[in-house]
Amino acid sequence: MKRTIRLTALLLVAALLVCACTACGTGKGKASSEDTPSSGAASSEAAGEDISKKVELSMYVVSDRPVVQDQVEENYNKVFEEKLNCTLKVNWIGWAEYKNKYPLLFSSGEVFDMAYTSTWLNFSPLARKGAFKELDELWPKYAPKNYERQSEMALRQSKVNGHSYCIPTLLGTYSASGPTYRTDILEGTDWDGKMETIADYEEFLEYAKEAAPEMEPYNVYQSGSDMDEVYMKSKGLYGLTGGFLWLDPSEEKPQVFTYYEYGDTPEFLTMMSRWNEKGFFSKSALSDTDSQKFRGGKAASRITNLDAYPDEYIRHPEWGVKYANLVSDVSNLPFTQDAMAIASTSKNPERALMLYDLITSDQEVFNAFYYGVEGVNYKIIDGQIENLAPDDFVYSACWSARTPEFDMDDYGSPADLPDIRASFDSHIEEMKGEGSQKYTGFVMDTAAIETEFAACQNVHQQYWWPLELAYTDAESGLQEYEEKMEVAGIERIREEVQRQLDEYLDSLKEK
Amino acid sequence: MKKHGFVYEFKKNKALFFMVAPTVLLVLVMSYLPMSGLVLAFKNYRFDLGVFGSEWNGLENFRYLFQSGAGWLITRNTILYNLLNLITSQGLAIVVAVIISELTGRIFKKITQSVIFLPYFISWVIVGTFVFNIFNYETGVLNNIITAFGGEKVNVYSMPGVWPWIICIFNAWKWVGYNSIIYIAAITSIDAECYEAADIDGANVFQKIWYITFPSIRPTIITMLLLQVGRILRGDFEMFYQIVGNNGQLYDATDVIDTYVFRSLLTNSNFGMTAAATFYQSVLCFIIIMVVNQIVKKVEADYALF
Repeated sequence: MKRTIRLTALLLVAALLVCACTACGTGKGKASSEDTPSSGAASSEAAGEDISKKVELSMYVVSDRPVVQDQVEENYNKVFEEKLNCTLKVNWIGWAEYKNKYPLLFSSGEVFDMAYTSTWLNFSPLARKGAFKELDELWPKYAPKNYERQSEMALRQSKVNGHSYCIPTLLGTYSASGPTYRTDILEGTDWDGKMETIADYEEFLEYAKEAAPEMEPYNVYQSGSDMDEVYMKSKGLYGLTGGFLWLDPSEEKPQVFTYYEYGDTPEFLTMMSRWNEKGFFSKSALSDTDSQKFRGGKAASRITNLDAYPDEYIRHPEWGVKYANLVSDVSNLPFTQDAMAIASTSKNPERALMLYDLITSDQEVFNAFYYGVEGVNYKIIDGQIENLAPDDFVYSACWSARTPEFDMDDYGSPADLPDIRASFDSHIEEMKGEGSQKYTGFVMDTAAIETEFAACQNVHQQYWWPLELAYTDAESGLQEYEEKMEVAGIERIREEVQRQLDEYLDSLKEK
Repeated sequence: MKKHGFVYEFKKNKALFFMVAPTVLLVLVMSYLPMSGLVLAFKNYRFDLGVFGSEWNGLENFRYLFQSGAGWLITRNTILYNLLNLITSQGLAIVVAVIISELTGRIFKKITQSVIFLPYFISWVIVGTFVFNIFNYETGVLNNIITAFGGEKVNVYSMPGVWPWIICIFNAWKWVGYNSIIYIAAITSIDAECYEAADIDGANVFQKIWYITFPSIRPTIITMLLLQVGRILRGDFEMFYQIVGNNGQLYDATDVIDTYVFRSLLTNSNFGMTAAATFYQSVLCFIIIMVVNQIVKKVEADYALF
């Protein structure tokens, strides 16, 4: 008797707990998508699909929530409701918490429809683990205008294990990398202004050190230096995900290799130790958390992609900011750099895709969604866009929605920006899909080597980063790096990646 | 002793049961329920299948901890750091508590205590900035002082050996005020008659501290130690991360389990591997606390936790 009572009490507690837990589980999900009967005002047919039911869609993006998000939302929802009988609520995951919170979105079981995703948000591992809805049939059917305009490369990149899991951006970005630098500090010196090679950059740093000794010539902080990539890419090499595997696109059958197997690495390290000795960058850079040294006037140059250039230029027109690309064989970055995915928990993937199709194919809708309210948030001047209140709204963080037709440069962008872009485009065209461009469609699948990959990434950061900045001795440091990488399982990774690469090349030939 | 059933007990002590209920519920929900999540450590987690639906994969998730030989190093570091911090911060806290309770001026006593307590409210992010501004090579305070006296600049960030001490000093600086509160409370509860008797016998201050204060707060010291030992495998993530940053040169001397796991899993969102690391920490913690508690029980049964 006593025992049964005790048992019942225990069971009761357990039951209560389960109830409490499931209650909070479903309660959370409900808010995000709710079906209400149509108001009847909207047209009930669009592109032949039934949209008579009003749908509330939700989307997650990574960035800090803008002050005037509500007004922007109200403005575009009028258009969405009229055209597709739906509304969209955008949820923002702030920069301070996205690393933890973004993956948790998918494990919490929360019901939502769309999410901005990207290679830097671990798109393919997440897709492999079932975070996103498979789009093989839905995409061409419900977002046909978008689907048709996707390049073959982009379609290939959207796939994980042979199925599409995201809609890549239509706007190409470039693998360009090089210094964004100030020219005002060198006025009055006999610097020739040439910036085409790494040697030119070294010369610039030398002049900068002399002319403005209070500044760091080359800005490095705790996220490490990018010179290794610039160096490798200036030699025409192509880098794979993870930052430590490279291949030479000029070879017929390229072999995957890493830094210590590359013949010119000692030369690179000698150069870096020369830079270190001359004080071109801080000797404690890897513990420095200040990422805004250039912007704050404390550094004379930084290594960036092309996109950062107009930003810095507009901020300080008086600095004479310039940009030079040092990558010899510029290709498009994977289009999954910016992408949109449908959550596996979505109840309305069809409508979500229709909406996305509309946003990426209608200028008016795009402007309302991406740039906000005309006259309040933005103004268009000569085909360039001016943000009227950048503190209120820095445009949408759903960067993947941009298209080459609708995307505008910021007002006051440097005059040479279109030329730089055009030169990249013509280079890519000239290469006719050979060189680096050939490999942008290759997506590494680390599922089978996850353990080794995590270990190698760790070793790479621990040993290569300080070595690259010549904080450790070039020769013994490189040896130690090699030993540690071998223990971490680089051999298995190389084998597996090589196998995948060969497969990829074979699949290209079949076409 | 006659045993009564649960119902009888319940009826008799309704009020007590009612009072303990929130705590029991809290512990169940916050501490016991999440334990079921530990199965993740043995699973290949998939978002669409959920925690319990995902496939089992044996010990695969544990492999990466030991893959590059880092497992032992970070376990050793974690334990050594905690031991060092335990001894320094608790030892200092006791000393501070004794000194403060010996002080007589009321205002001076309060001010001293507040000043010592203050660092507790400063976040590690700020402390990290302090550390960088003291030790960085180009503009750091330390190098400025050294060069002002005509010395050679030192690059502290390339000397792994000194970092355990730097971290230990900052840890003690931050926690000493907070920990001393508990000892001060213990000291104030000592019967004043003991001290009066000692005064009459002609004992000096140090004798009183040694023969009265220390023995009286011994149970508190042991309880505090036991509680700290239970966390011995949990590195104070914030502290290490903010002070060391991404400085790979210092990792061998400063890496603890938490920072290692954070770094290596940031890039592949693998919940299974994270869970495996947590599981490893928890099991080791459990073993260590059981052993220490047994030892205490053997030596002085009254002071053991359970």
